[in-house]
Order: sequence, then C-alpha cells, then structure tokens
Amino acid sequence: MKTYVKTFALPLWLLASFSQVLCAEEANTNNVNEKDTWPIAATSQTVTEDDYLGDVPKVLTVSRLSQSKADSPSAVTVIDRETIRASGIVDIPELLRLVPGFYVAKNAGFIYNSNDTVSYHGMASAYPGAMQVLINGRSVYTPLFGGVLWSELPITVDDIERIEITRGPNAASYGANSFLGVISIITKDATEAKGSSVRLTHGTGRNEAFYRYVGDIQDVNFRVSTGYREDDGLDNRNDFKRTNILTVQADKHLDASNEIGFEFWATNGDRADGELAKDKILFTPRVRNISSNYELIRWRHNISDDSDFLLQAYHAYNGTDDSVTSVNLRPIFAANPPLLSSTVTVNNDIDLDRYEIEAQHTFSPATNWRVVWGGSVRLDRTYAPYWLGTNEADDFNLQRLFGQAEWRINDQVLMNLGSMVEHNDFTGTEVSPRASLNVKLAPNHTLRFGVSSATRTPNYIEEKFNNPILVPTTLGASYLVQGYADTGDVNSERILSHEIGYLGQLGNLDVDARLFNDDIRNILNTKRIKLTLPPNIIFASKDNPRTYFNGGDAEVRGFETQIKYRLFKTTQILFNYSHVEIHGDKNALPTDFTVSMPKNTFSALITHQFDSNWDASYAYYQTGAVSALGDGSAVGLNRRSDVRVARKFNLNHANGEVSIVVENLFNSHYHEYALYNTLGRRALINLDLNF
Amino acid sequence: MFSKWLACFALVLGLFAPVFAQAYTGVTILMSAPSPANSEFIENFKNELASTKNANLRVNVIVLQETEKLIVAENSELVIALGVKALEAASRLQHTTPVLGVFTPLPAFNEVLAKSRRELGNFSAIVLDQPYWRQLSLIRAVLPDAKKVGILFGSVSSQYIEIIKEEGEERAFSIVDESVTQEADLIPKLKILLESTDALLAIPDRLVYNRETAESILLTSYRHQKPMFGYSQSYVRAGALASVYSSSKQVAMQAAEIAIKSQLAPSLLPPPQVPEYFSISVNNQVAHSLNIPLMDEAMLYKKMLEAETLEVMEHEKTKH
Repeated sequence: MKTYVKTFALPLWLLASFSQVLCAEEANTNNVNEKDTWPIAATSQTVTEDDYLGDVPKVLTVSRLSQSKADSPSAVTVIDRETIRASGIVDIPELLRLVPGFYVAKNAGFIYNSNDTVSYHGMASAYPGAMQVLINGRSVYTPLFGGVLWSELPITVDDIERIEITRGPNAASYGANSFLGVISIITKDATEAKGSSVRLTHGTGRNEAFYRYVGDIQDVNFRVSTGYREDDGLDNRNDFKRTNILTVQADKHLDASNEIGFEFWATNGDRADGELAKDKILFTPRVRNISSNYELIRWRHNISDDSDFLLQAYHAYNGTDDSVTSVNLRPIFAANPPLLSSTVTVNNDIDLDRYEIEAQHTFSPATNWRVVWGGSVRLDRTYAPYWLGTNEADDFNLQRLFGQAEWRINDQVLMNLGSMVEHNDFTGTEVSPRASLNVKLAPNHTLRFGVSSATRTPNYIEEKFNNPILVPTTLGASYLVQGYADTGDVNSERILSHEIGYLGQLGNLDVDARLFNDDIRNILNTKRIKLTLPPNIIFASKDNPRTYFNGGDAEVRGFETQIKYRLFKTTQILFNYSHVEIHGDKNALPTDFTVSMPKNTFSALITHQFDSNWDASYAYYQTGAVSALGDGSAVGLNRRSDVRVARKFNLNHANGEVSIVVENLFNSHYHEYALYNTLGRRALINLDLNF
Repeated sequence: MFSKWLACFALVLGLFAPVFAQAYTGVTILMSAPSPANSEFIENFKNELASTKNANLRVNVIVLQETEKLIVAENSELVIALGVKALEAASRLQHTTPVLGVFTPLPAFNEVLAKSRRELGNFSAIVLDQPYWRQLSLIRAVLPDAKKVGILFGSVSSQYIEIIKEEGEERAFSIVDESVTQEADLIPKLKILLESTDALLAIPDRLVYNRETAESILLTSYRHQKPMFGYSQSYVRAGALASVYSSSKQVAMQAAEIAIKSQLAPSLLPPPQVPEYFSISVNNQVAHSLNIPLMDEAMLYKKMLEAETLEVMEHEKTKH
C-alpha cells in the first residue's frame, strides 16, 4: 500500500456537507442538560477510531476466493440460489438439466440404486460414475459404483447456496473421479441470516416439511436443518422414498486467523426397490432401509494476507439393510437333484465407510502468481457381500498429491498449470496434468485454450463384482447362479480433452461457449467369460457371467453453450444447448456407447418479475433420443415444460413466499433412461416462511 | 443549497466566541493507549514539525490514566487528542485550551462537542470520515460503468442519507439505500441491495458493521459477486475491493500544518475537517476473483485527483 504526499489543498466548500451536520449539532448544544455527566461517548453505538483503525478478521482469504470464470482453466457453470428458486426443481440432480452437456434421467432401478442417472456427455448406465461430486469440498461418490446416491444426500435443494459445475476433466484440482466433470455443491452456512425458517411442500406423490435455524451461542455460529421428505416415485413403479434428514453446521473463530468448522449430517429412511418385470425371482419388490451420516472437522488457518492453510478430516457412512429371500425355487430348478431348501436368502446389506484427511495450502508467491497445492489420504471400506462375493469388508486406499498454479502473464493473458499424482490400491500410481491459456481479447471477451488429462480408477463393480449365489441340493452339489465374475486387473480409463472456450459479455447478453474433443481410452465394458467350476457345482444361469475389461476407445466431440440474456430489467432468459457426438468402433465393444448421449439437448429458463411480490418462470427441457448403457433402453426424444408462479408476502414478524410449480405441464408421457420409467405431470405447492 | 451552507457557516463562525487566548508554545498529545497508529502519528508529527524551520513547538506526550487527573499547561499548549476517549478527556480541560481531535469519527466528535459545550473556535478535529464524494469518486474510478451503489444505513449513519444521495447524483450514481433497525434485518436487507446494485459502499455504523457482522456481510456480497467498498484498510484486507483511507503519516502532516498555522491564534482553530491527504487501498485478489480489471493504486489515485480537480474547477465556474 502506497502513501501519497500532499498534492493539492482541500477546498473549503467541499466540507460543506459536513458543516450541515455540524450546524444541526450546534443547535442542540444550547439545550444540553447540566445533569448530563461523563463519560459521553460510552454508548456502544458510537463509532470510534476502533471502527476505522481496528482489525477486521480476514474473511475472503485466498482459499475462499475462487477464480473468476474468465480466469478458470475449464468451463464453469454456476447454478445460483436465484436460478434454483426460479426453476422450481425439488430434486438436486434435476438442477443439472440447466447445465449444457448434461444428460439427466429419472430412473427407478431394482437392486440397489433407484436414483436419477446423471452424466456429462453420456456413456452412462444406471450407475454413472466418472464425475466428481462434492458437498462443501467433501467427495460424496460411492466407491461401490463410482456414482452418487442422490436421494441419500443429507441436503435438499433448499440447503444449497450454489452449485459450481466444471465441464470437462479437472483431476488436477479435484482428484479421483474428476473424469468428465465436477459438481461442487456449496451449502448455505452459519453466516446466513439468523432466525428460523420453515419450508413445506405438498404435491403429486410428494410431501416435505423442513425446519431450519441459524443462530449463535457464545461466538459459535451454527445452522441446523431437519425435516422429512416422502416421494412416491414414478407411476407403476415400486420406488417410493421416505427420508429423514438432520444437519448441523457450526463455525467458530478461535482468533483473527484461525477458524474451526464442524459438520454433522445424517439421513435415514425407507426405499422401495424391485421390479417384477426385471427380476421375478430374487430382487422382488421390497422395502429396504437406508442410512447415512457424516462428521467433518475443518480448520482454516490464515497464515498471511497471501497465504492460507486448510485441513479437514471426515468420516462418511452410507449403508442399506437389504436381506432378500427368493421365491420358491423348486418349480424353477425342477430337474434333479432336488433342492435342499425351497428358497435362498441373499444378504444385500451394504456398508460404505470413507475416512479422509485433506490438507491444502493456497498462497500467492508473487502478485501475478497464485498456487494451490495439497494432498489427501483416503480409506474406503466397503462391505457389500452380494456385490463382492465375500462377507469381509474390503479396504481401498487412495493417496493423492496435487498442485496447480495460476500465472497472470499480463492483463490479457493468463495461464493455468496443474497436475495430480494419485496412488490407489487398484491401479497403482497415475498422473493427471492440465494446462490452459486464457486470452482476454477485450475487457469482456475471453478465449480459453485447454488441454487436460485425467484417469478414472475402476470402481468396485468394475474391479471386484462377484455375485455367486449357491442353491444347495440334497445330494451335496449346488446350483450356481452368477451374473458377474470380475477377474480384476482392469486398468483406469484415460481421457485427453482439448477445448476452445469463449466467454463474452455483449450488453445484456452473457455467452459461454465451448468446442471440445475428448479422447477416451481403455473404456471399461463387459464381456462374458466361462467359469471353471469344481465338480460339485452346477452352473444354472442362462448365460455365462460377465467380467469387466478395458475394451475400446471413443472420441467425444461437440459444441455447447450457455447464454444468459436480460431482456428487460424484470425478464431474464437462460438458454443451454449442447451437441455431442460419440465416435468409436461400436463393433469393438459389446455395447454400443456411441448412442449413449442424446445428440442434442436443449433447456431454457425464462423468469419474469411482475412486481415486488409476484414472479413467474417457465422452463423447457428437450432431450434427444438416446440409448443409455447398462439396463437402459432406447428412448425417444422428450420435451418437458415446467411453470412456476410465486408470491412473496410480509407479515408482522415474518416473511415468506408461496409458490406453485407444475412439472411437465402438458403431461407428455415420455420415457427416460429405460422404457420402464414413464414420466407424467406433477404439481407442487411450496410455502416458505422466515421468522 | 449552497446559500444554505453559507448560512450554516455564518452560524458556525458566529459561535467562534472571541475569547482571549495567548499563543501556545507547545503541543500536548493525549492518547488512551500507545497503539501502532498513535505511535506512528506521534513520530510523524514530530518529524513534520522538525522539518518546518519556523516551528519551535515542544511536543509532550501523555498517556491517559484512569485514576489520575489530567494535568496540562492549559493556556500555553495545543492539545491534540488521539481517539475519542482522549478527546473526551481533553474536552474537560479549561474551555480556553485549544483542542484538536485526531482519529475521531465525525459523529463522536459532534457528541463530545455537544456534551462539553465547547466552542468550535478552539475545539476542532481532523475527523476519520473520508468525504463521501471521495469515496464515490473511487467507485467511479474502479467501476466506470456502475450505475447503482447500495448503502446499508443504521440508526446513526441514517442522518447522512440525503447528503450521500446528493453527492451520488452529482457523480451519476443512483444511491439505493436500506435501513437496518435490528441485527436480524441485516442480511435480508443486504441481499435486497445486492440484487439491485453494482456495488456496496460501507458507511460506518455499529449496528451494521462490527466485528461480528463483517464476515457475513463480506461473504454475502462475495456470493452475490458484488464488490464492497470499505472505509478502512482493514476492510480491504478482510475482503472489500477497495477503500479510501488516510495513513497516520498523512493525518500527522495535516495536524502539523494546523498546529503551526494556529500557533499565534489558538482561539481560531480551523473548523473540523476531513482528511486532506489520502491513500487508496485495493485488494487485487478480490478484484481478480470478481473479474474486475483494476488499475494500480497510484493510477487510481491519479484518476481520482483529476476528477476532483475537475469538480473544483466546475464548481468555480458555477460560482462565477
């Protein structure tokens, strides 16, 4: 900070505005009561020199400040509070329909996962992995299949402050699984406005009641959120969900440069699962119990103005109790030898524990450099007897070390460099580097050239899926039913992504456009293998079991854009479009992944503010024909229109909003992901009350 | 409007009761504690006097003690009070003792003035408040296209609403204000402001800006991707985009000028005044994160001076 010496004198008239106030005070002087005694400025309301010269704790520390979109090494889409509100969406994954290049489909599975299928640029099954998903910096994808159990996340859309979506690989910053994209959810925290709020939702097959409180006790700021949600799921499917949620977040400033944060989140509830059309014998319609919880402690230490240290440790648990008993198997295994028992029981309990310690140091070695580096150690403990074919829990260790630097070469050119080295139990050591150059052509026009590489470590399903079911007979031999027999030893998938991006602002128009070319190698796919069986085992499945192998390569290329346009002060339009083509030798693989992403997806959100109380929005989503992997089947183009009307109100000691949302206004009965998922119209009414 | 101001001045001048006073021979600097800012002020003040050849003022420093009675050579000293507490103590000295407050915000000065029934002629201050036009001029220099500036007023600062609005209009800003009457309103009202404005200008008021609220205000503004203009260097360090401030050295320079000029006529201290010399402090990290192109501090300062000079010239024109 520079100090300046006198250069010119202050003209007296410029003081005039102050003397007005002085005049007023002068007038009062004559009325001073003799009884007024000292001290005079002791009222805590009086601003003193401390307000000007005293310290203010550093809030926007280097690690808290994110790169602006124009400086970012990748395309970033932010879904903010206002967009979430305007969209009327109540399920988190559906918000991603507002991000160019995303494929989102409602899906009701039947063994374990009945959740939305979310992928960026396709190649997704009912268990889509390949994307890093973080809540407040904590990774929430499950090690079992690499994807996210969206409905089991301990947050609701109402808890979200914003979602930052990195489109394209970004392993250098976010680590394992940041293969196709990164979804970083940032929740509201204890710095929110203090007080209570209630949100009630009632609608077609959906009821929710949540209570939130933000307050402080002895310098500890905290936020508590608790509630219940029930969702009946899709028509004619057995996929209802009942969920209880409790979250507690607390922050405390130990002193000006140290802050401690705690988070505790928990969910439990029931999930209906099973589909007779897919499995009449074992995973028949049933209700299973789920629960999840996590505990986190975070320490932020501000080393200096240009340097920050962050250390966090957490444990996360995700599990389900699901013991399934088959139907009477005797008619099915009619041949000799006869069965010892008429049914078999399979333990489909799943317990996933994740322990992680992460450290991160952000600093600015020179004014035009900013560096972030750090590392983490993670242990994933997976107990999934049905999936892994063992009653033992299996441990997966992951260590990573990452570093990235932002170099502001001059006002026009900025370079980002980064790399991550990762070591894991499945595939050993891997390196994911990244580089990009952002060129500011004019103050509001930036071109970005980026090359990024990432690996995707096989998940448990790809590495160790082994589900033998033995059906004993009276003669000592057993029938064997088995769908998967992973031989392990698969390699990571690898992506090399090139992109040219443009970010521009023309008057009321904001444009984010991107041309991309992703080269994906070693794609994991399945093939059938013949098992060598001991003499007393009779293989009884119709087909040989599958195993994963690194099967082929693909090239994904296309164009996507997000445009925001402020038509009038009161009317805004958000427009997303993507065109994605997947090229590859479809004969090289058992499944045709080239059609696993709709060629064209389109979404738009129009919001209009009628006056200070009334506002309305209209959302349109169009997804082209697609044939997803796994259990997915060919579904045609679908169109969906949502409308939302809201009115704000003010009461004496409270304020709030009532809104009505109609999803799929025209009730078009389209299919998503597979033909067994049929969508229909749904109407919801929400009441928000803050007091 | 200007004639009204002149009338005010006349009133102010009228209150300069012509009291008998002799030239002072020394300066007593009074402070409640030797804080870094105070020490820096004293050092620079002494240096300033030393560099002025015709000044032969002694400088004496007193740290206020709670229990002891304040002893000052009341009729031969100029008392420079550092901070509000010191100013209060100084106001209890004989009414003929010339007192110059330093590091005192204007509302606190007014409060002490009112309670002590001192007169402006020998009771004055260099206030901590930077003039609003200077702060608005900084916003203009940093954000040439900004149209709306949001201000959160508390019960104390609300008295300045009209002045700031007028100053804003002159610089093509529309000032959007929200008044906070209780702590619970703070963040909701801030959000309303942030949604409709280009920047937030902080005006000191304990109800709005204090150690407890600083974090929420800065984080909320940042989440809305709106820059905040603070009123101190500390705020810039904490996360405000920029602020105008005067260093201890700059205030010491101004105080030394007053001490020398008024030496022979201690009952004719200049009226309370805003800091004459100022500096700019910017937070480049915040600027980059908000994608706001920022000139360096020296360039910004130059640009603001140009704008100020232009304003003075234009004002001279309208006057003639």
